Amino acid sequence: MSTKTAAGQPAQADTTQAAPKSGRWRRRRRSRPDDPGSDVIPIEMYGLKRGTTTVLTLVCVLFAIFTLTPIAWIVINSTKTQANIFETFGFWFARPFSLFHNFALLGQNIDGYGTYAVWLGNTALYAVLGGGGATVLSAFAGYGFARFRFRGSRILFYLVIAALLVPITAITLPLYLTYAKVHLINSIWGMILPSMVTPVGVYLMRVYTEVSVPRELIDAARLDGAGELRIFFRLALPLMVPGLMTVLLLSIVGVWNNYFLPLIIFSQNRLYPLTVGLGLWAERAQNSGNTELFPLVVIGGLVTIIPLIALFLILQRYWRSGLLLGSIAN
Amino acid sequence: MSTVSLEGLTKVYPNGVEALRGLDLHVDNGEFVVIVGPSGCGKTTALRMVAGLEEITSGTLRFGDRVVNDVSPRDRDVAMVFQNYALYPHLTVQQNIGFSLANRKIPKAERDAKVREAAAVLGLADMLDRKPRQLSGGQRQRVAMGRAIVREPAVFLMDEPLSNLDAKLRVQMRSEVLRVHRKIGVAALYVTHDQTEAMTMGDRVAVLRAGVLQQCSEPRELYEAPANMFVAGFIGSPSMNLYEARLEPGDEGGVSIALGSQKLSLPASVLQRNPDLGSYQGREVILGIRPEHLSDPAQSGAAPEPGTALAADVDYVEVLGSEQLVHFTIDARKVREETVPAGADQGEIVAASVAEGVARIDPRSAIRARGRAIFGVDTERLHFFDPATGAAIAPAGALAPAG
Repeated sequence: MSTKTAAGQPAQADTTQAAPKSGRWRRRRRSRPDDPGSDVIPIEMYGLKRGTTTVLTLVCVLFAIFTLTPIAWIVINSTKTQANIFETFGFWFARPFSLFHNFALLGQNIDGYGTYAVWLGNTALYAVLGGGGATVLSAFAGYGFARFRFRGSRILFYLVIAALLVPITAITLPLYLTYAKVHLINSIWGMILPSMVTPVGVYLMRVYTEVSVPRELIDAARLDGAGELRIFFRLALPLMVPGLMTVLLLSIVGVWNNYFLPLIIFSQNRLYPLTVGLGLWAERAQNSGNTELFPLVVIGGLVTIIPLIALFLILQRYWRSGLLLGSIAN
Repeated sequence: MSTVSLEGLTKVYPNGVEALRGLDLHVDNGEFVVIVGPSGCGKTTALRMVAGLEEITSGTLRFGDRVVNDVSPRDRDVAMVFQNYALYPHLTVQQNIGFSLANRKIPKAERDAKVREAAAVLGLADMLDRKPRQLSGGQRQRVAMGRAIVREPAVFLMDEPLSNLDAKLRVQMRSEVLRVHRKIGVAALYVTHDQTEAMTMGDRVAVLRAGVLQQCSEPRELYEAPANMFVAGFIGSPSMNLYEARLEPGDEGGVSIALGSQKLSLPASVLQRNPDLGSYQGREVILGIRPEHLSDPAQSGAAPEPGTALAADVDYVEVLGSEQLVHFTIDARKVREETVPAGADQGEIVAASVAEGVARIDPRSAIRARGRAIFGVDTERLHFFDPATGAAIAPAGALAPAG
């Protein structure tokens, strides 16, 4: 007699060895070899009462709905015309299906308010250079902190972490004045260089290096006459790759979604990343009645998140193992 | 080709911990010296200082005539085999072994020839294209050794290289290591915590404890004439039985040893060899009896000689086939060398109310567990130690603890 949990999966006593059975409701959850929780045991064995698991599942479902609703909305409404966005039911499609029409508009400069395609290119540039640079710097810094003993290394590390405490809004004005002095305002480097500095990246790489690059390996290489740079590039870096991928992903996402820094740095439309550009469109859509900007804001938002989702899916393998910080054997 | 001289090497960490104090050791060209001691005794620290991976706080380190205290590891011409092998995981066996040669920009043809030569010595010739993760523990260890010998170093260092192998492989690899060492013929320093390994492999063995050298001699001398209680209890398995005893004037003018409620008589020849013992009459001493110096006289039907009988309660008997290990208790007070604190004052003796001991007797003996046995003690071979300092009450002219 199989009972069902709220998620619709049958709870059976023998879970580990059963072959996949036919029929949707009796399908077993296969353990995948790379799944960290691949030893699946029946929920009864956790010692939880049936009622508890139902409630917990319900809560999780609610959170999932809460998280996914905006995305669902944006996907659905990017296919509508301006009129339909306001007049039809928000969570279902309506005729005419204008997805491709809206998409085509993204290539044009809308009423002088800027071209989406340009902004997309900018965002990609900043994210790749900024995120890539952040990864490189974090790798060097993390390795240095993890594998070298030098005076003041502890204080220096704490200083790096302490930088996380400073909210960017507090230093906006001094930031602007300083950057203006060195001609970084309205320059792509004004966006890229600050993005390359990430305390979280340094921390992550330091911890990951400590775990994945054994001290003895470096000792052996030193005895074998290798210089420090050679040790770093040839021996340590290949071992640090999962951590690097994690930092890369986090930095790229961080730069991609960064709204405040480019707002301070850029006053020229052609330099805007998507965050600022879409913000501008959204504001214009509210305040001027003439242009059909709303559908563009919606589809613009959708297109913005697609590359990130793709990146997550592609780097998934590294992302998950990077999080496991140390349960990987050499 | 070089000798290694450690002169008064000391290591004090920034937080004040003293890992090594005044170590004096000299390794001749081609000699295989083993540094042995319990965990935390400073042996790995000493090795790393010789390699250049730890800074020397004070003392002098010499390779031949050259003082190398401040020379960087890559310029010292030492090769080291690590406990965890520390192989380069993304390189093949060939690249691992040839790494040091590649760093010195030796041309590829010459490099390949040397690698092949080293691989042949170690039986790795058909594994050159594999990566470390495709090798077994013993094979990895041999790659680590190959990496070390291909450089033809002046000094060969090994940090517990066999401790990650299973017991059988370890025995096999012991002879491999010695064979390779004989072939390359340079000074070698080998660190281990296993006294069996030390005794079977070393030309000389240096026993270290809490950063201080206890004794450095050939294995036989270490076994037969330990310089102090720690060495006596550390070397030899099962370890020496150490008891609190008293030297008293015996009947007929001799000296007798009071052990608990029993008395053993000290042979006159021993007293002649060890005149210092005379000054301990009427005082406490520490008596050491090696398990193999206890026998079962009942087996041959004879009664034990007077003054050599030791009655004991048998706890259990381990039948090993080639011998039997009899675990017994007597009513003396036992000394456990691990609980004697290091340093000058070794007078703290933590004793149990009844003392256990182990005897190694003939396999055909009829001694059974839970019975009472009378052992015959080979009183010619007893060891004596000063209860305050732990030092051996050695015969005149015997070697000093460090050498």
